[in-house]
Amino acid sequence: MAEKLEVKQGTLALMILKTIDVLGPLHGYGIARRIEETSKNRLSLNYGTLYPALLKLEQEGFIKADWRQSENNRRAKYYALTPSGRKQLAREAREWNQTADLIAAFLAPRKEAT
Amino acid sequence: MKHLRSFFSRVAGMFTGHRADDDLRDEMQAHLDMETAEFVRRGMSPDEARRQAVLASGGLTQAAEAVRAQRGLPWLESIAADIKYAFRSLRHAPIFTTVVVLTLALGIGANTAIFSVVRAVVLKPLPHRDGERLVYLRHSMDAPGGENILFSVPEVQDVRDGAKSFEGIAEYSPLSFTLRGENDAVRIRAGLVTGNFFEVMGLSPMLGRVTETTDDGPGVQPVTVLTHDFWLRRFNGDSAIVGSQLRLDNKSVTVIGVMEPAPYFPDRVDLFANMVNSEHHLSASMVQGRTHRMTEMVARLTPGATVAQARSDVGAVHARITREFKQAYDPGSHFRVSVIPFRQALGARAQLTLWLLMGAAAFVLIIAAANVANLTLMRGVRREPEMVARAALGAGAGRLRRLLLAENLLLTTLGGVLGVAIAVGGAGLLVSLVDRYSARANEIRLDGVALTFTLLMSMTLAVLLSLIASLPKEGAFAAMISAGGRRISGGVRRQRLQRSLVVAQVAVSVVLLAGAGLLTRTMMQLSNVETGLRSEEILSMDVPLLDISNIFDPGADAGAKDRYERMLREIRAIPGVADVGLGSPTPLRRSTVLFEVKAEGKALAVGEAMPRAELRTANPEFFGAAGIPIVKGRPFALTDQATSGLVVIINQTLADRYFPNEDPVGKRLAWTGDVLRFTPISDAWRTVVGVTANTQDGGLDTQSRPVMFTPFTQMLAMGGGLVIRAERNAAALTPAVTKVVRGIAPTALIENVRTVAQIKDESVAPRRINAALVSSFGLLAVIIAAVGIAGVLAFSVSARTTEIGIRMSLGADRRRVEHMILKEGGVLLVAGLTLGVVGAVLAARVIRGLLFGVEPSDPLTLLSVAAIMAAIGILACWIPARRAARIDPAITMRA
Repeated sequence: MAEKLEVKQGTLALMILKTIDVLGPLHGYGIARRIEETSKNRLSLNYGTLYPALLKLEQEGFIKADWRQSENNRRAKYYALTPSGRKQLAREAREWNQTADLIAAFLAPRKEAT
Repeated sequence: MKHLRSFFSRVAGMFTGHRADDDLRDEMQAHLDMETAEFVRRGMSPDEARRQAVLASGGLTQAAEAVRAQRGLPWLESIAADIKYAFRSLRHAPIFTTVVVLTLALGIGANTAIFSVVRAVVLKPLPHRDGERLVYLRHSMDAPGGENILFSVPEVQDVRDGAKSFEGIAEYSPLSFTLRGENDAVRIRAGLVTGNFFEVMGLSPMLGRVTETTDDGPGVQPVTVLTHDFWLRRFNGDSAIVGSQLRLDNKSVTVIGVMEPAPYFPDRVDLFANMVNSEHHLSASMVQGRTHRMTEMVARLTPGATVAQARSDVGAVHARITREFKQAYDPGSHFRVSVIPFRQALGARAQLTLWLLMGAAAFVLIIAAANVANLTLMRGVRREPEMVARAALGAGAGRLRRLLLAENLLLTTLGGVLGVAIAVGGAGLLVSLVDRYSARANEIRLDGVALTFTLLMSMTLAVLLSLIASLPKEGAFAAMISAGGRRISGGVRRQRLQRSLVVAQVAVSVVLLAGAGLLTRTMMQLSNVETGLRSEEILSMDVPLLDISNIFDPGADAGAKDRYERMLREIRAIPGVADVGLGSPTPLRRSTVLFEVKAEGKALAVGEAMPRAELRTANPEFFGAAGIPIVKGRPFALTDQATSGLVVIINQTLADRYFPNEDPVGKRLAWTGDVLRFTPISDAWRTVVGVTANTQDGGLDTQSRPVMFTPFTQMLAMGGGLVIRAERNAAALTPAVTKVVRGIAPTALIENVRTVAQIKDESVAPRRINAALVSSFGLLAVIIAAVGIAGVLAFSVSARTTEIGIRMSLGADRRRVEHMILKEGGVLLVAGLTLGVVGAVLAARVIRGLLFGVEPSDPLTLLSVAAIMAAIGILACWIPARRAARIDPAITMRA
């Protein structure tokens, strides 16, 4: 198994929002599985990381939760994006891309000769 | 927006804990179940699958804790928890809590009330612009009534010309007027002022304008500026009053403005008016008479000038004029002028009393705080196992201090709230007390500043109390366990602190009790002073029929005297009236008219002060009605008429002054002095026909001044006081007498209606309030101190239970144990008493000015106070000593 990475502060919220955006309303287990799979199992999410993050997003009004029957007839709490969550996702994704570009530019080997 | 929403959601989260916890558990359970099912689907055994799922979760409890922390606001929750805990722990110690809260409430209440007074009277900024540049000039001399003899207009002018350190000098002359309304007439007090008065004082109008220099001199419009209080009281704050006319002594005066609220100075007056309102004030006698002293002087220093410079300037002027006008400044009387900073002049009389109360209140707070500290320390020791256990379970020192602070804050806040309630009641009482001394009593209120003071006081106490408590040290838990859960603290240091606190409490209590004793004795001595009148059932009232505008008019004078005669006849006919007399001023009131007196054939030595005597008038029945004994000679007779030979009756003080070893009857005296030129009073010789006993005219605590009575018929009809002796219950005669007076003089003022008992009471009242306040503080202190001693000893007994058990099992009997504990307390008591008596002697010197008829180091008071404190202290020691003696050695050894 590859070396597991700690989830970086601030990035988890973005991953959660994106996951729900892609897959539609989803329970905690589904979110965790999807994030782990997407990261090719380089990230692992324990409950103590996941659930406080979900609660925080809920408190900020970006997602809302309700109890539903799951596909295999289990009761589970499903999280769905709110309109402001959708906006937040767009904003954060844009900021993240900009930051990533910036960092990449900094870290890239210099092209021009000295 | 995001933060705000999150914050509210989290605050709400603090109160939905249980439901949310269930919800979270279900959610995590579902997560676990789904993961397990997934692992099973991949081929794990159910048990293994569950194990892996739990492993992957990273710990359900930790996760729940992390979610909880996100749900609410942890810092707020822990403070809330501290407070909740503090409530719970205090509820479990109801006696401790009650004692501490009450103690603090009394201490804080007393201090809040006194602080509100000190702030209003001493600390609060004055409305006067650049008030620190204001000074008050006082003219004094060595003679009865010589503390403040005012200035004459030429004297003011001399200072104005000679003292360069003043930017401006204003004149102020007190005068009373009759204000006639639509259907009433009231006596009002006015200050006649020069136009620059308000500019010098630095006061502004609230409405309209104040006087200016154009309002000075003759031939101008008579105008008046109302004081703020009078405007509210008489005119209900009607702003339309500006520009209207008032009738003062039958003259029309224009109201030009209302002054901003300000302390009364130099006197309590209802309004200010320009000089033209009194013909007399513009007359030659007033303006040119060097000895015609009716004027107060307030001055404003030039910027940069100091009070010391002003003093030397004024001193130089004064020295020059006393050389130049020898006849106006009798060298034996030591005329002098003092320059007093305005703020000091305003509060001077209140200050000693205020210091007394402030000191007493501070002492009570010290004792209260000491007691609370002791109780807290003791409770701290009892709670040591709890604290050690908390520390062992991971509570840091900061957390423990916070816990203690929460408790102490709760205690002091409760004490503070109750204290403010006490202060509200106390401040009302204090206003009436301070009103007698300070012009600023109307500014006393419990406002935000006073409450802030209380809050700070409470918080400081809480912090101090939390700091003196010692916390468990590193390794204390192990030590405690190895000691078998017993108390492990050596506690010597703490016991020493507690003992010092007890000694201080006893000492401070003794000081307060001694003060209370001295003031109570002062009050008793004062009540026992004879007024000089034989009866208390005497009603007196002033019915002035003339005022300054017509008092010198012979026709008006004769008319007034005739009306007084009719009043006397009709009052005599009222049932219940034993006797009625006429004279001015009424008995037990000081006359403000004093002149120098000379005796025929008695030349004074050079440098000897000229005797001054009060001028009083009396009719033949006055002495009998007032119950003033004639000790030699006779009272006035009907034959002493305006046209017959001039006669006088003198009091014992004047008789002793001029005729120490002779019979004064038949000797001749005369009014004398330069100032007589300005009055219609003649300096002719008058024959003494009688001598009266002295009466306490200036209050019970004053020295009698020399008095010379002249027959009512041989003097101007000044004042006009009716003196009525009742067969019983003088006060009940008031309506009948008032009716008679109204029948004869429908619009006359009726003033100063008092019985002798009331006058006497007014004289004792301030001392009674002093004594009552300090006594209640003293009592409080003693109770608190007694609780303190008993508490510390009881604690000591419980800490030494094992030791006492061992002693008893080794043969010490109950008496011996009792003695041991009594001795422990006795040492503290003796130390406290000794310190206290020394402190009391020092403190009493400071309040010497408030005492009467008792020495500051009065041995009787000090001894009884020490005895009372000792008795209470021994009682307080005895209770824990008894308890110690009842210790069963068998039980304590086994424990």
